Amino acid sequence: MNDHTEPDQPATGKATNGNGMSRRQFMKGSGVAAAATALTQAPLLEASAAQPAAGEVPGMGPAAGRLTLNVNGQKMTTNIEPRVTLLDALRNYLDVTGCKRVCDRGSCGACTVMLDGKPVYSCSMLALEAQGKPIRTAESLVQGEKLDPVPAAFARYDAQQCGFCTPGFVVAMKAVFEQNAKPSPAEVERGLAGNICRCGTYEQMRDAIYALCNQKRRS
Amino acid sequence: MPWPSKRRVIGTKVPRLDAPVKATGRAKYSFDINRPGMLHARIVRCPHAHARVKSIDTAAAEKIPGFRAFHLLVKPGVELLFAGAEIIAVCADTEEHCEDVARAVRVAYEVLPHLVKEEDALRPNQQGTLGGNDPNVGPGGEFATANFDAQAFQNVAHTVEARYGVPVICHQCLESHGQVAEWDKDLANLTVYASTQAVPLVAGQYAQYFKIPVTRVKCITHYMGGGFGSKFNPGPEGLAVAELARKTRAPVKLMLDRAEEVTVGGQRPSAAGTVKIAATKDGVVRAYEVDCYGSPGVGRGATVNMQYLPYVYSHIPFIKRKHRVVRLNIQTARAMRAPGHPQNCYLTDQALDDLAARFNPPIDTLQFRLRNLPPNDPDAAKNAPLSYLALRHTIYTREIEIARKLSQWDKKWHAPGADKGVVKRGIGMALHTWGGGGGVNNDVRVTISADGSVLCQCSTQDLGTAERTVLAIVVAEVLGLEPRDITVQIGESPFGRSTPSGGSTTCPGTAPAALNAANAARDAFFRAIAPRLNAQPGDLVIEPGRVVNRGNNEGMPWRQACARLGQNTSVGTGDWTPGLSLQGVGGVQTAEVAVDTETGVVRCTKIVAVQDCGLVINKLGCESQTAGGVIMGLNYALFEEAIFDRTTGRQVNPNMEFYKLGGIQDMPDIVVHMMDMPERGVIGIGEPPTIATCAAVGNAVFNAIGVRVPNAPFTPDRVLAALASRKGNR
Repeated sequence: MNDHTEPDQPATGKATNGNGMSRRQFMKGSGVAAAATALTQAPLLEASAAQPAAGEVPGMGPAAGRLTLNVNGQKMTTNIEPRVTLLDALRNYLDVTGCKRVCDRGSCGACTVMLDGKPVYSCSMLALEAQGKPIRTAESLVQGEKLDPVPAAFARYDAQQCGFCTPGFVVAMKAVFEQNAKPSPAEVERGLAGNICRCGTYEQMRDAIYALCNQKRRS
Repeated sequence: MPWPSKRRVIGTKVPRLDAPVKATGRAKYSFDINRPGMLHARIVRCPHAHARVKSIDTAAAEKIPGFRAFHLLVKPGVELLFAGAEIIAVCADTEEHCEDVARAVRVAYEVLPHLVKEEDALRPNQQGTLGGNDPNVGPGGEFATANFDAQAFQNVAHTVEARYGVPVICHQCLESHGQVAEWDKDLANLTVYASTQAVPLVAGQYAQYFKIPVTRVKCITHYMGGGFGSKFNPGPEGLAVAELARKTRAPVKLMLDRAEEVTVGGQRPSAAGTVKIAATKDGVVRAYEVDCYGSPGVGRGATVNMQYLPYVYSHIPFIKRKHRVVRLNIQTARAMRAPGHPQNCYLTDQALDDLAARFNPPIDTLQFRLRNLPPNDPDAAKNAPLSYLALRHTIYTREIEIARKLSQWDKKWHAPGADKGVVKRGIGMALHTWGGGGGVNNDVRVTISADGSVLCQCSTQDLGTAERTVLAIVVAEVLGLEPRDITVQIGESPFGRSTPSGGSTTCPGTAPAALNAANAARDAFFRAIAPRLNAQPGDLVIEPGRVVNRGNNEGMPWRQACARLGQNTSVGTGDWTPGLSLQGVGGVQTAEVAVDTETGVVRCTKIVAVQDCGLVINKLGCESQTAGGVIMGLNYALFEEAIFDRTTGRQVNPNMEFYKLGGIQDMPDIVVHMMDMPERGVIGIGEPPTIATCAAVGNAVFNAIGVRVPNAPFTPDRVLAALASRKGNR
């Protein structure tokens, strides 16, 4: 899990911080704890309706607040709690569902979006942190019926089966080509190292990669 | 009507029709459905591998902001048999509040003893951990050919007795199990957006559960994110979400999170045991004996296919098999892509190569297989000349020859362990078989409209198999159009009957139905327009993009002909009929690996998969399915394992960072060869290509390092342990 997504507020040493909760409480646990947090009788956010105590830094939340995100060139506003990840904000509050929730802890890449031109795991960052930065999802890679070359290659070479991981792969691959106009197939593959497909579409993805790199794959 | 003898579209490479919407994130899966006013639900689960529920206290949870409703799934006093068992479903206005509510539910447990390791359960006098007097270990079947003990191992030149095993793995569907449920205002009609492999079946299960007519349940699965045999019913979560939707009179979504998906979303059972195999001095296998066990978790039933052990080589004269079912405190097994077959293949093909290596010099394992292939069955050849039994020797011989060339086998194979250097290369092979036939109860409806558009409807679902495109290809073939000209609507239960997508039966079930429906629609169309063309319906024929009157050899473009329908449409319906599909395929795979003997890391460099599936409908889709099956098999060989902690009884890797799945950089070069046998009709391809891969990789590792790594996955620790155990280090 990426530590850089930790909120700036200092932890108070208790289960809650000045905002009424800590990252540990809202991020979906680690290891077995993922199941355990929902199962055990861990003290619940008693402070979920409480006001910040005297002397603590006032911050957003824990109640929902207004948040505006710039998604695919469009300003979108919603009310969310500060603990909501960028992924959940997009999917649950803004109905932008091309980014998928699969592992929800930064291992599979299905939630990949471009933030400020860089591919990020939207499950591992708060929506708050994405304010004011352009966010692009797979939905941006088509104009009318005209597909961007990356999803077009996925379609032509059949580099998707169930398709649930596909938008994440497409965004990650698009990011490679935006950073390097003429990457080698190996460089493109490196850019996809953070994405996992269960149906096993990698072989067809390689056909798409070679075509996008203008290289012949097999004799 | 048979399949057209000249095929213009069928068998070509057609990109899937829904690829653009999938690749740009516009396809709406069940997980993506957001309904106005929708609430969220999740399930509180037992954290103990075996426990009795003492009490469930929801008082604190009910005070959480956003709380809406509960649905109790068990009552206090009940004994729960695995970590993850359902207790209570909770519902709130947002997902965040829902997590708060779930966390605030207080459940008290009496923790009871558990077992999560096969070897622990197999200890003598082990106390049962399944409640009551239910033992953990039970019989799974026994069989022996006549005179096995007296004669099996007589006159044999070489015998191998060794242990082999494959672990419990998890389905890991990327779209987890779950539903969005919504009742109408008077609670009479239920709509469910379900991630399922069985759209009409699930609608029926909801109707039965709520005791309402099935006509009042609509199950929708336009897109679904992965199903390998674990999504045939609503599950406790699916029934709970519909209960909560009824209680709250609002749409409710409940999708399992990743830890839940892994720990309760389905597992492929383990299989391990001792194999004793022997051959005569001519290299002909004479006897195969297996004593194995496996765990279906808390489920019941064998974890191998007893009748197919030994696998493929069922003609071996002396066979003895015994299986024990080891029930453990983990989730129950669910059918997973060719249930039982990868285990069978592993318990057969590994032993075969170990036996070939006993000869001096070692026998080339490709030649060893050719020498021991099952013969074509003479009775089947008379009664069912196109059947697998009638053709198996022919099919495997042809496929092995193709694989030999594509893998450069003769250049690559060497005596086991003969490669020099630190990184040793090796090549291995394995064979598989599968059914994959279609059947009745697949309703397809084709409608031709006056504007020339064509609609094809079926309630079936697309698991990633390009099923939409299959239907479009067949209809386009009959009507002289292109697949993109056909609007295909699937995944809605009101479209009629369709069979669940299990056993590789969807394409062979629906493609014949689509052929019959398209033929019927075309005939109705000809009957409707013939009078307006001063023709007899029998004089009209379809040519690509045109309708031609053979009476005067005049033709007109498709749309112009359709315009003659005026206010009418022409509709044809069809179901599966015999003679258009078949079952029974063979497949041959080779794997090449490079094993670093210092680190134990196995890298697979190339896999050749030669697969028959009768009449190929979409060559592109078939190749994708085959490569995908190979990759799932490669994960089984190198990465996947559900690991359970003996002390807590919990799975320690219910996620995607410690439950390993390969990424693109882990992938070998995969060469797929579809062996077209159109005379056999359509046969399903979903399952077979995943069967042999693990066994082929295991044999390649053996070929590389000259010592067997008995248990998959072939992780560095296991490879190093095998190397260390070898006597007389080379």
